[in-house]
Amino acid sequence: MSLKKRVFAVASALAITTTALVAVPTTASANPVCTNKVIFTECVGATTDGAGYVIQVPARFSGTLFLFSHGYRYPINIPASIPLVGGYTVVNTPQPAPGQNAAQITEVATQMLTKGYGIAGSGFARQGWNADSGVKTNIELIGIIKKQFPTVKNVVAWGESLGAFITQALSENNSSLISAAGNLCPAAGSVEASLKMAGDALWGLKSFFDPTIQAGNYKSVLEVYTDIGKVLTVLGSLQAAFAANPVTPAWPATSKVPDAVKAIPSRSALVLVAAMSGVPTQSSSYDGATGPGPQGTLIATQFAAGLSPAFGALENMGGAAILAIMATYDIEQQVGGAVFDNTATNYATQLGDGLFEYSSALSGLDAARGLLGFLAASPRAKADPAAVTKMRALVSHKGVFNVPTVSLAATADNVTPAGHAQWLAERAAEKYLASASNKNSKLAATPRSNFIALWQRTPDSYTKFSATGSPISQSTVNGTGHCRTTTAQYMAIADILAKAAVEGKLVADGAFRSAIRKGGGLTYDRGFSVPLMKFYQN
Amino acid sequence: MISLRRKKSILAAVAVTSFALVASAVPANAEVGVSSTEIKLGTTVPMTGIAAPGYSKVAPAMKAYFEYINDNGGVYGRKINLVIKDDRYIPQEAINKTNELILKDKVFALVGQLGTANHLAVTSKVRIASRNIPSLFLNTGYSGFADVKKFKTSFMHFPTYVAEAKILSSYIKENFTGKKTCLLVQNDEFGADAEKGFATAGLTFDETVKYVSGTQSATTAQTWITRFAGAKCEVVVLFSVSSATAAALGVASAAGYKPQWILGSVGADSTTLKIALNNPQAQALLNGAIGVSFMPDALDTTDEYVKLFREVNTKYSPGVDFDTNVLVGMNAAMLTVQALRAAGQNPTRRSLIAAMESKGSTFASAAYGNLAVSRTSRAGFTGYWFGKFNLAGALIPLDAGRTVYTTDSATGPVTKASAKRAALPAKGIPTNS
Repeated sequence: MSLKKRVFAVASALAITTTALVAVPTTASANPVCTNKVIFTECVGATTDGAGYVIQVPARFSGTLFLFSHGYRYPINIPASIPLVGGYTVVNTPQPAPGQNAAQITEVATQMLTKGYGIAGSGFARQGWNADSGVKTNIELIGIIKKQFPTVKNVVAWGESLGAFITQALSENNSSLISAAGNLCPAAGSVEASLKMAGDALWGLKSFFDPTIQAGNYKSVLEVYTDIGKVLTVLGSLQAAFAANPVTPAWPATSKVPDAVKAIPSRSALVLVAAMSGVPTQSSSYDGATGPGPQGTLIATQFAAGLSPAFGALENMGGAAILAIMATYDIEQQVGGAVFDNTATNYATQLGDGLFEYSSALSGLDAARGLLGFLAASPRAKADPAAVTKMRALVSHKGVFNVPTVSLAATADNVTPAGHAQWLAERAAEKYLASASNKNSKLAATPRSNFIALWQRTPDSYTKFSATGSPISQSTVNGTGHCRTTTAQYMAIADILAKAAVEGKLVADGAFRSAIRKGGGLTYDRGFSVPLMKFYQN
Repeated sequence: MISLRRKKSILAAVAVTSFALVASAVPANAEVGVSSTEIKLGTTVPMTGIAAPGYSKVAPAMKAYFEYINDNGGVYGRKINLVIKDDRYIPQEAINKTNELILKDKVFALVGQLGTANHLAVTSKVRIASRNIPSLFLNTGYSGFADVKKFKTSFMHFPTYVAEAKILSSYIKENFTGKKTCLLVQNDEFGADAEKGFATAGLTFDETVKYVSGTQSATTAQTWITRFAGAKCEVVVLFSVSSATAAALGVASAAGYKPQWILGSVGADSTTLKIALNNPQAQALLNGAIGVSFMPDALDTTDEYVKLFREVNTKYSPGVDFDTNVLVGMNAAMLTVQALRAAGQNPTRRSLIAAMESKGSTFASAAYGNLAVSRTSRAGFTGYWFGKFNLAGALIPLDAGRTVYTTDSATGPVTKASAKRAALPAKGIPTNS
């Protein structure tokens, strides 16, 4: 689901679950407005920064309340004339539970309440990258919750994407307020990790396919709209070219690369952009392992290794690129200048072994080197040092886990790749290592950690083909897309977090494994590992 | 209660990994994949798909040799269980299957992985090094895998392609100076290594044809041969995978084009030739071609290793033709048994890696020369001998003494190797420690 549709869905879902939202005050209110809904009590109000919130506590309350932080919402309205995302209007509607759409948010909220969990969520006072203000809003909201509902024994903070970033920051700096934390499809570390992937991908699209794409340093909203239009035009052109001739698709008319580069299939340039920036080449419809017809034939192998990564990159790039434009503009507005800088980036180094791993998709080593050579000579983006300094002053993570924390990441998430969660996992491992190396520490003798990483892994093969061999579009494959979590998976994590909140620790016991099984499509294995975001590999 | 030393050992083993830990997650007993009765190993290879002809025999050959060892007491009483997964020679599938081997099958170590792109995908996406998972005896000659800093848990079996190209160069320069010399090479790291070796040795080509992996076929081979013939190439080096070599030889034969063929070791396999060309007599196309090998020829029944491996193959893989692929698989398996023994009576991943580093260069093997593995290198074998293929597809040494040449993957000279091959362990059953 597009981010636009998702935001609309969130708004309409809340109309169902919290009909009192129409009365949410837009200014701070000392006392929330509460309504007895028979099976639960609902309170709405606004924090001092004007962020609307909703709290729902069931009649048969377990004592554990989940505070949800929603993900990134565009900070600006988008005119209807812009394809795909046009018609979006900024909404600050509070969201008390996770979900991809209205129905799922309702479903999750209902199941949470039925289980005796309280739920709450803010809409935040401003949209876009709002981690700093989001943490403050949540701190205030927790105070309101505890004041209004003295029966709340444990608050579990959880969030998705940017909301997970807010949750982790809250956990690191205000752990006394919460008892457990859940980071779902998280952004983690610092905003730079996300902007690095976004910037590299945008710059790659610009360099290969349309040099008039601005890719940052935006001075006006109009420039943002224009860039979205140009990126979508490029991706549309590539899509048409791939459909017309998947083996040697043409380059978009807007491309200005020399003929020698144009002799290389445009699909290979797109794979290079994805691989060097860290955008997954596995997508909802393309697994990188399956081709049409009987597997093992030449045509099936050529599709799987040579074409599928390009199709996957194309399917992933739209969501990644649009969010990249929005997030880049958003941060630039907050810090007063350009923040993406690739003057020192060596994309060959950043591609690393991808040069060989994607050999077929890159049309061979000579072609790949030709593409990299072109990029090496392409004009680079330079950041405003003062703006970068301000960006680095925004809240970031230390990677500590003061309360039991669970992360969930999809291995082919195209917006916040699993490398974010891997960063958290590695910080947890480092903390353990530090403890274990201390011979006199009791912690070393009884090692424990407050962190568990769960993964949504893609199936081994899932690309489907029509009778004529054409790939069939899919959107519900586990492990693909951004925050495509099932209700069962949400509930499994909720149960794990609720137990951890009560017990004050995470234990991979029978109840934990039972919850994982019930969730379905979840991998828990402390041996599982994925590549870090490129930002952390450098 | 476990001892303090045991606790420290467990902690140290866990410490090198990079994953989340919970209170009950640290194993309190044996290493993953090692029980009192079994050592579980895993491999992903192309059992089906375009690379399967020939290569699909490598892993079953390993398994056959392990069964032979199991019937003779196993490794310190433990039987070896090799789990084989089909990766179809596709990198993403190698990632999928390796994750299965590690997460579901809980293997102790990987052995005999095949294909450079596949193993690079596994090392970067499955991150076996940071998880301290050994990968023994890679069946690829990509020189990059010798880098211990980057691939600290991976160990090569084959000599590097760079070294092979340097050694081939010395022969070509000595015997074909003045001839129009041309090259077929794969347009990836395999070919890049070869080109680096030829360039380092100062050999230049009059015509170089490159193909992208996965595109080799009779149709594409037609264009290669047209270019070679058009350039009047008198000596053609096929530094290619078996399916490409087969396509080139098949098309050239049909066209009546007969240069002096010089074959890289990877592609000179009569089994693949016969399957790829659907001709049981296709091995005859190799007749007269010059080749190199770091192993004895699979048809050389006078070789004690070949003789033993043939017997094992007959008993444990009835009906399977013994060829270079079987020989490579069994050799990797014999090396693996020695590595497991050297890792101690209760092997851990850490002790296995340490054993490879400290004792790997002493392991008995059918290959001529020793493994170059050490604490500072993950390189495999380093020596090649030259031969000429006969009508039966056998590589017959060019000189009676079977001179073995060796070099490094850098700028070192090509020299005659002095190391002698270790004798076959009694009955082919290692007893090292």
